[in-house]
Amino acid sequence: MRDVIEVNHLKFNYRKRGVLKDVSFKVGVGKVVGLIGENGAGKTTLLKVLLGFLPDHGRAKILNSTPRLNYDVSSMMQGDLKLPGVTVQDILEETAAQSTSSLDIERVLKELDMMDLIHQRLTSLSGGQLRRVSFAMALIPNTRLVFLDEPTVGMDVNSRQRLWQKIDDLKKEGKTILITSHYLNELEKIADQILILKDGKIAFDGSFNELQSKYLMTTISFKTELGMDNFTNIDSLKNIRKKNGIIYIKSRDGDRTLQALLPLLNELHQISITRESLEKIFISMSEEELTDEKVNHTASI
Amino acid sequence: MKKLTTQLRFDGRRLVLRNTSFIFFSLLMPVMFYILFTKVMVVTNNSAEMKIFSLNYMGSMIVYSILITSLMNIATFLMRDREQGFLMFLKMSDRGLFDYYISMGLWSVTMSMISVVILGGVAVLVNGVSLGLTQWGALGLMVLIGQLPLLLLGMALSFIKRQETLGVVCNLITFPAAIVSGLWWPIGLLPKWLQVIGEKLPTYFLNDVISSITNHAKLKLVDFVGIGIWTIILLAVTLLIIKISQRRGIFAGVQA
Ligand SMILES: Nc1ncnc2c1ncn2[C@@H]1O[C@H](COP(=O)(O)OP(=O)(O)OP(=O)(O)O)[C@@H](O)[C@H]1O
Ligand SMILES: [Mg+2]
Repeated sequence: MRDVIEVNHLKFNYRKRGVLKDVSFKVGVGKVVGLIGENGAGKTTLLKVLLGFLPDHGRAKILNSTPRLNYDVSSMMQGDLKLPGVTVQDILEETAAQSTSSLDIERVLKELDMMDLIHQRLTSLSGGQLRRVSFAMALIPNTRLVFLDEPTVGMDVNSRQRLWQKIDDLKKEGKTILITSHYLNELEKIADQILILKDGKIAFDGSFNELQSKYLMTTISFKTELGMDNFTNIDSLKNIRKKNGIIYIKSRDGDRTLQALLPLLNELHQISITRESLEKIFISMSEEELTDEKVNHTASI
Repeated sequence: MKKLTTQLRFDGRRLVLRNTSFIFFSLLMPVMFYILFTKVMVVTNNSAEMKIFSLNYMGSMIVYSILITSLMNIATFLMRDREQGFLMFLKMSDRGLFDYYISMGLWSVTMSMISVVILGGVAVLVNGVSLGLTQWGALGLMVLIGQLPLLLLGMALSFIKRQETLGVVCNLITFPAAIVSGLWWPIGLLPKWLQVIGEKLPTYFLNDVISSITNHAKLKLVDFVGIGIWTIILLAVTLLIIKISQRRGIFAGVQA
């Protein structure tokens, strides 16, 4: 399979501050990729490098060429255009004129249920409406590669649904799509690949399931007469602690840990199982080193 | 070609047709000033003097209108296009920013010509000003040349980052420049030391050339030299600012 995006040890600094320190990843053709990272992690900066607006120093390849001025890429940037005296139709016509294979404006607007906005001025649109116009602007050039920087911000439920539906259609057409977001759950259904940008590096690169099993913990807690040492070697254990007479087991794989606990079931009381939400992933990632230390520590006692 | 015509249509709508600031401050206000000072608040009964004044004041108001257009309108548009990422958006297309600059340039010139037509028309209709075809032609040509330093100044100022700051700076330049170079009332009414400054401004030179043309007077070399020097200075300043910005990566709205 051909790679559409190839990044090798990419670095980028704003003045002195290093934003991207050592970024490497590949994206195959026709994939939908979710790029996740906290505020200021460098997601937008990475997109700007890939678009050729910031220097890549030969570290990136888009559609087999250097990023600079590559025209088969369209993007929906984080900030919307709010130009005075310009209507939705004007800006979409302007967008269509930019590329040779552009789609029909009315068709795109109908698909996105936006025909009612066509004659409105950009300055009179709401935040969510502007976001939808920006999305339409990313679709009209009909490019092989599409970058979407936090596309759903400010959109209502219906608009979000239509957007994800449209992205699914694009995927079926074989387009490659890179989406940044703060919301993992909205990427869950659609993304083939998740990239997590943290401290200037790709901290995770893999499928959603891999991410889940690596970072999403299940906590099983219970009361028991049994000693802690009965549980320290249990399957998929991440860490274990005791508080107010209750044992808390943090597990990488809730199913397997539960199965391992089954033989001891008669000895366990007040069992409760909680699964962390997706949003906890960042916290889990920063705690990772800490908790690993803790486990080692208990083991050495 | 499709892109250039689309770009021209796009910019024409936002710069002229739907630009209330242009219509009000660059056209309506100068027209109102003109009618006010040549028709309503007339200071002399001498009809020969009045005839000269209505000619000269037409020229002044044309220059004033162009000054406002360059500093208040063009500068703001250029700045906003960069700050909002419109330039970045255009840069991703096949032809980059070429069509954009062509279109903005053509429309700037057109806006100045609209000022000439509107203010000239009002002068003809209200005060019966009459000029020969060659005079109108020469006037238009001089406006084309004389607005260059003003447009360059607007372009240089458009690199000011915040819209509020840009607005304040433009106001601080526009109105003093208009008064000191004698666009609002005759420069002879100003204190001597202000006249010395005023007579060195590009708006003064342009106003003076126009006055020579409309009064059938001999064109003064100093006016052309003045406009030329201002154009060269402001061109150098603008190019320098563009260079610095490019080095800092903010030329197309991407900041590095
Ligand atoms: N023009 C700039 N000059 C200097 N520093 C910048 C500039 N733009 C961004 N930064 C800094 O670079 C870092 C990364 O910014 P970036 O916009 O890429 O983050 P992000 O991951 O997109 O964040 P968000 O989720 O808030 O959109 C931040 O610390 C930011 O302050
Ligand atoms: Mg961002």
